[in-house]
Amino acid sequence: MVPDNVATIDNAFTLRAQAEKFLFTCYSYLPREADVNANPAFTSGDEFWFYYPLEYINPRGFNIARGNQNIVSPYMNYWDGSEGGQPLFRALRDCNIFLENVDKVIDLEPFMRDRWVAEVKFLKAYYHFWLLRMYGPIPIIKENLPVSSSVDEVKVERAPVDEVFEYIFTLINEAVPDLPLKIQDRAAEMGRLTQPAALAMKAKIAVTAASPLFNGNEAYRNFTTADGDPFFNPAFDQAKWDSAMVISKKAIEVSEEAGHQLFYFSNFLLDLSDSTITKMNIRNSVAERWNAETLWGSSNSRSRELQRHAMLRIDPLRTVNQQVRAHLAPTMRMAELFYTENGLPLTEDKNWHYADRYEIWEGDEAHKYYLKEGYSTSALHFNREPRFYASMGFDGSIWYGQGKTDDEDTWHIEAKLGQTSSTYGTSGYSVTGYFTKKLVNWNFVIQDGQNYVVEDYPWPIMRLADLYLLYAEAKNEVEGPSAEIYHYMNLVRERAGLKTLEESWDNHAINSNKYKTKEGLREIIHQERGIELAFEGQRFWDMRRWKKAEIVMNQTIKGWDVFQEETVGYYRPKTLYNPTFSLRDYFWPISENSIIVNRKLIQNPGW
Amino acid sequence: MLFGASIPIMAQQRLITGTVYSQDDGTTIPGANLVLKENNNIGAVSDIDGNYSISVPNDAGALVVSFIGYKTKVVPINGQSNIDIRLEADLQQLEEVEVVAFGTQKKSSMVSSIETINPAELKVPSSNLTTALAGRLSGVIAYQRSGEPGADNTNFFIRGVTTFGYKKDPLILIDGIELTATDLARLQPDDIASFSILKDATSTSMYGARGANGVILVTTKSGNEGPAKVSIRLESSTSMPTQNIDLADPITYMLQHNEAALTRNPLAILPYAQSKVDNTIAGTNPYFYPAVDWQKMLIKDHTTNRRMNFNVSGGGKVARYYVAGTYNQDNGILKVDRRNNFNNNINLKSYLLRSNVNIDLSPSTEAVVRLHGSFDDYIGPIDGGTGMFNKVIRANPVLFPAYFPTNENTAAIQHILFGNAQTNDGNLFLNPYADMVKGYKEYSNSLMLAQFELNQDFSFLVPGLKARGKLMTQRRSGYDVSRFYNPHFYAASTYDKFEDNYSLVLLNEGSATEYLNYNEGETDVEIVTYMEAAVNYNKTIDEAHEISGMLVYLRRNLLEANAGSLQQSLPFRNEGLSGRFTYGYKQKYLLETNFGYNGSERFHKSQRFGFFPSVGLGWVVSNESFWEPMRRSITNLKLRGTYGLVGNDAIGSASDRFFYLSEVNMNDGGRGATFGQDFGYNRSGISVSRYDNDEITWEIDKQLSLGLEFDLFDEFQIIAEYFTRNRSNILMSRASIPTTMGLSSTIRANVGEAKSSGVDMSVDYNKYFNNNSWVQGRANLTYATSQFTVYEEPEYDLWYLSRVGNSLSQQYGLIAERLFVDDEETYNSPTQNFGERPRGGDIKYRDVNGDGQITNLDVVPVGHPTDPEIIYGLGLSAGHNGFDFSLFFQGSGRSSFWIDPEATAPFIQRETSTGNSQAGLLQAYADSHWSEENQDVYALWPRLGTEIVENNVQRSTWFMRDGSFVRLKSLEFGYSFKDSLIKKAHLNRARIYFSGTNLFTLSKFKLWDPEMGSNGLGYPVQRVLNLGIQLGF
Repeated sequence: MVPDNVATIDNAFTLRAQAEKFLFTCYSYLPREADVNANPAFTSGDEFWFYYPLEYINPRGFNIARGNQNIVSPYMNYWDGSEGGQPLFRALRDCNIFLENVDKVIDLEPFMRDRWVAEVKFLKAYYHFWLLRMYGPIPIIKENLPVSSSVDEVKVERAPVDEVFEYIFTLINEAVPDLPLKIQDRAAEMGRLTQPAALAMKAKIAVTAASPLFNGNEAYRNFTTADGDPFFNPAFDQAKWDSAMVISKKAIEVSEEAGHQLFYFSNFLLDLSDSTITKMNIRNSVAERWNAETLWGSSNSRSRELQRHAMLRIDPLRTVNQQVRAHLAPTMRMAELFYTENGLPLTEDKNWHYADRYEIWEGDEAHKYYLKEGYSTSALHFNREPRFYASMGFDGSIWYGQGKTDDEDTWHIEAKLGQTSSTYGTSGYSVTGYFTKKLVNWNFVIQDGQNYVVEDYPWPIMRLADLYLLYAEAKNEVEGPSAEIYHYMNLVRERAGLKTLEESWDNHAINSNKYKTKEGLREIIHQERGIELAFEGQRFWDMRRWKKAEIVMNQTIKGWDVFQEETVGYYRPKTLYNPTFSLRDYFWPISENSIIVNRKLIQNPGW
Repeated sequence: MLFGASIPIMAQQRLITGTVYSQDDGTTIPGANLVLKENNNIGAVSDIDGNYSISVPNDAGALVVSFIGYKTKVVPINGQSNIDIRLEADLQQLEEVEVVAFGTQKKSSMVSSIETINPAELKVPSSNLTTALAGRLSGVIAYQRSGEPGADNTNFFIRGVTTFGYKKDPLILIDGIELTATDLARLQPDDIASFSILKDATSTSMYGARGANGVILVTTKSGNEGPAKVSIRLESSTSMPTQNIDLADPITYMLQHNEAALTRNPLAILPYAQSKVDNTIAGTNPYFYPAVDWQKMLIKDHTTNRRMNFNVSGGGKVARYYVAGTYNQDNGILKVDRRNNFNNNINLKSYLLRSNVNIDLSPSTEAVVRLHGSFDDYIGPIDGGTGMFNKVIRANPVLFPAYFPTNENTAAIQHILFGNAQTNDGNLFLNPYADMVKGYKEYSNSLMLAQFELNQDFSFLVPGLKARGKLMTQRRSGYDVSRFYNPHFYAASTYDKFEDNYSLVLLNEGSATEYLNYNEGETDVEIVTYMEAAVNYNKTIDEAHEISGMLVYLRRNLLEANAGSLQQSLPFRNEGLSGRFTYGYKQKYLLETNFGYNGSERFHKSQRFGFFPSVGLGWVVSNESFWEPMRRSITNLKLRGTYGLVGNDAIGSASDRFFYLSEVNMNDGGRGATFGQDFGYNRSGISVSRYDNDEITWEIDKQLSLGLEFDLFDEFQIIAEYFTRNRSNILMSRASIPTTMGLSSTIRANVGEAKSSGVDMSVDYNKYFNNNSWVQGRANLTYATSQFTVYEEPEYDLWYLSRVGNSLSQQYGLIAERLFVDDEETYNSPTQNFGERPRGGDIKYRDVNGDGQITNLDVVPVGHPTDPEIIYGLGLSAGHNGFDFSLFFQGSGRSSFWIDPEATAPFIQRETSTGNSQAGLLQAYADSHWSEENQDVYALWPRLGTEIVENNVQRSTWFMRDGSFVRLKSLEFGYSFKDSLIKKAHLNRARIYFSGTNLFTLSKFKLWDPEMGSNGLGYPVQRVLNLGIQLGF
């Protein structure tokens, strides 16, 4: 039987309704950034640690943190699309198919076609960026090779990183004019690309290109193409920072023009203390759906599952509910990263009790919105900035939400062995004694039995605070400290309930001039990013582009001794792991099989 | 009835009476012709019961007894008045005609390689005919991996496997109709008239695109003219596993589970607290501290099966009939729980009804009507027998009891109080007992076949010209449905040591039911229509030149009702024209050519039709005059050879309907996206699951077969054959396409080439002694090897990675040297790139390419192929005075298999549809594994762990085992009752017999039946002890 009218790829481009499906197909490859199993930034760095083996999920990325990355079947393989990774080269092929064929659609108005083309061009750029950030040099997929290509034609070569960056910028520049400033049809289109999203991502890509890993990286001098050209230009190029600064500034202007602004919580039905409101400002800048700060939210990768891995059992009457897992356990390094109440690093604040930080103190009236009054906990948890209390939970800390709306009567965590938030069987606990409050929307409710209610939010791939800090970083690299840098830094600090940068450092710092030098301010901006964007999947990539991963990822991962029932035993820092990180770990290995199939691919150094 | 000849009554006449029997099987022969040697005017014919009565003169010397198909016998009278006569079958005459593609051929003039077996040899105490194939037919590679009723088909391949498409097994034709292996399995040997295997190009090329993997041809019996003849066979058998899996006891399980957790992570929380271990050892309370032997709980030692088969045949001048019915009942070896009101042990009932009627419409026209129905009714556990066996070894023996007894607190509860526990995820565990008793699955499969055939002899126009037309339709349908309740699971809590009681907590209040739910499974409906038209012509010129020719046209149409996709739902069509021409000169020099010309819809227009010719030559040396002096010892000697092309269009996978069309999923949910304020705007995506390809075409098999036949003293019959097959155009995925191409499905092309070669031979021995004794022997051997000659693979720098030159089922693996002595050694050894860094007690592999890393580049061909290369059988039977005895050994050689390290890994928790399973511990692993106390670097199992250790489950020589074995496949002992005893019951035949299969096995492998290969945790192969009775009247 020989059939006619069987669907072929041409059917995708005859009518608008079908072509729209293909547009969505191009979007569908976006990495699942809110997925613990798919985003290495959650599992492969030093922000979180996990007990092992994990039950219920098996994030491949955690094997990378534990030094098990390999070439036979690499974890988080976004090159071939396996072990937790999306097949990004397939994504690029589909983008190209779309771009080649979209003109054939007869009932597609030109303005809409232009917008669709712009979206797909941006996605194509973004997929290239993902691969670049993971693998370094990659083959540029400008056009599709025909299926009937010869064996030699299909053997593409990796292009030096500067060429890849250049191609990415070309694509974004082509895309931006045809993207909308903001989404008009919010009910149907929130999550589609806009100019602010594209420009902000361009800023991030430009800052990445200017950062030490990609700009003047001496370490890869001998990593060259077959012709001997280095994949990474070993000469530092200041112009990359200049350009990153300009691009970031432009992105800020367009974002503000589109109405984006830093998030401030408001709910007139609740009568809350200022402390609680500050915490809500911080938490909801991430966890409130489509808040004004979100420049690009991924409606295809939402937080529902992630919130279950972050949330803990907090109601003593509902401890059998296994929907909440408390897997995402911030490391002690993160607990020590947050500032003091004076907005300074712990080591810089002359008024903070650094030497006594592992003592055990009792919660007092002054901290009652942060930790349970009368409850004994580590001195490390006292006199810290609101972002510490808003982003992390710990034994004794207040957790606003879960049905209790009066901040005078809230839940608090009890996490020592045998207590409500401790282990369930051999699993379902935080291995460090810290919990990720920031990622959990405050409307979360653990119900009786195995039911739970969660307010879903799209994963914020890019938000305004991130963009401000990118601009500050780039501007500092170009010109050194300036009032404009302080201005953007202070916008972020103000929302976090802190005094200005200048006030904090002038009045409380040991090295009060640090912020006035380029190098000093660079460190401050780096730490500010680490705090403001904590647990949002940024630190992992930041540490790499700053080439700091080789330092931090060789340091011990610590947490509290969570299997202790008594306070004294519990509050002893315990070593969980001694990770190792060498030069090769900055980039993913290409799978051995890919190299065998295409001998023109050159493996990354060290693999 | 007595057919007495009318002769003049003479003085001194005497009456001789008696019965004529067949010497082979002891059946009586009606219609045998008896004449007096001295005067052939005096004669008689035996009646329906084989009895005769003849009046002869007193001085008569001897009777001459003859019947078609038997050797004529001269019986001296010697004054006796009662003489039973046994006629010996004339094999020359019986086997004169052999069934070949689309017809029959005289055996003496055949040049092609066809293996024929006496259907009686296929009688085994099993409801599955395919289990009898291994070792009984030369040229067949066969093995059985499971003993589950309804799923115990043997895998069989003719002359090995030379392809890697989805269809590797032969084409099965029953009465000329293409059917499945299961249909073959249900056939009754009693109903089979002939069973042949077509092995070479000349015998199969008429099947064109379908014949490349060989053909099994079966015809069923037709009636003969004569009064009704009834035959009944009843069997009852006991079936039990040849070998059971040996599991560690619950205490060992618990201790080693703790060991497994600690040895990998000293910080681990122990799975079982010390108090639990102590109390379980002490046997404190078996419900609070359970220790369950799930195997004993769920599985019986043996089961009984019944089989019944009858047939009636006969006919008159105009019509002849053969009607047969069969009823088989096979039970599983699962225990039935009396607490339920339904039986969920496997119970497979199969019924068959067959009616073959031949009608002479005119002296030259015959119509044949064949009706056949085959029906399977099954009741069994929801996940099948293999599923239950898997569950038994996937259940934790110490977490919960199978069920709790009712006490005064729970007396009012109607349902069974199944035990369970919560996993750390809050899920429940798998309770295999609850899974077994909670419900059952029913399935029914029906096959109805109606065939009409018209044979017209045109000899009145042109002598030797005949034509035939055949129409057939076949309807197959099946459904399955499960009915089950959701068990109530309880956990024991708050144990009171002094009162020795505990309270129960219901774990699944929301989902448990006391009433039945049901689940509809698949419903399959399949319709096949088939037509065939043929003409043939036979002529002998001058008694020296024998010529025959044949042309056949056929068309087959298959339609599936629930095919699952548009492309699958379109009718499957196959069309072909085939022909044969034979020429023989004085029965010495033989020539045969065949062709098949076939169309397959799977390919593009330009590739659609294929032409498959073949030629064969034969020389019957023993018919040469110069052979005369040798003819007494070597009675027959024939040399033959054939060469030809055969095709295979069953390439890729069955779902690749039209290779030249792309397959696009216009609504791929996996590639969709969601947008909108409340995530309300969703569209699915579009994906390509196959790219169109006009170039894809047939596989072509070039087959050469050389054969030698010779008969020694009319007692030994020896056939030896050598074959080679060169398969080209094998469809393969292009290996050279990197992932950077971004293709969403693989690109394929007809690039692969493979060849196979081998030998198959058989020796038959037949000897009849004068004192009613006979001996038969039969031995055969099949040796088939295969190798890739062209294999699509990347250009390897390392020669050993290439598959070229190795067998198609050659496995590749790492070379395991031993286990690591300690963690320290792992740091000083090449990096092993599989999952987590190995530790002491994990498997240490050899760095074959010396690059300091163990990767896929260190993988080398290991062991023998997984399909055995040698299958052999040796059978011996003998009879004397009503007693008969036979035994049959079967063996398999040159194969390897792998213990599946993932499936057998102890303690592993897995999610299943009915709760988390937790793998059991094989006794062999409990006894021999690397532990910190006993650092045995050659232990059977590496360091324990509670998770799959990727490093240890790589395919390697560590878990490789030799698959060869020899087994006593069957044994039979029978007795046929003397006529004098059974005559009163109006029987003409009664035989009782005892038989057994798989009685013992010799193999190096001890964990499970070696024939199951790596599938050892499934439903075991069965040993059967059988008692049967055969009656004829």
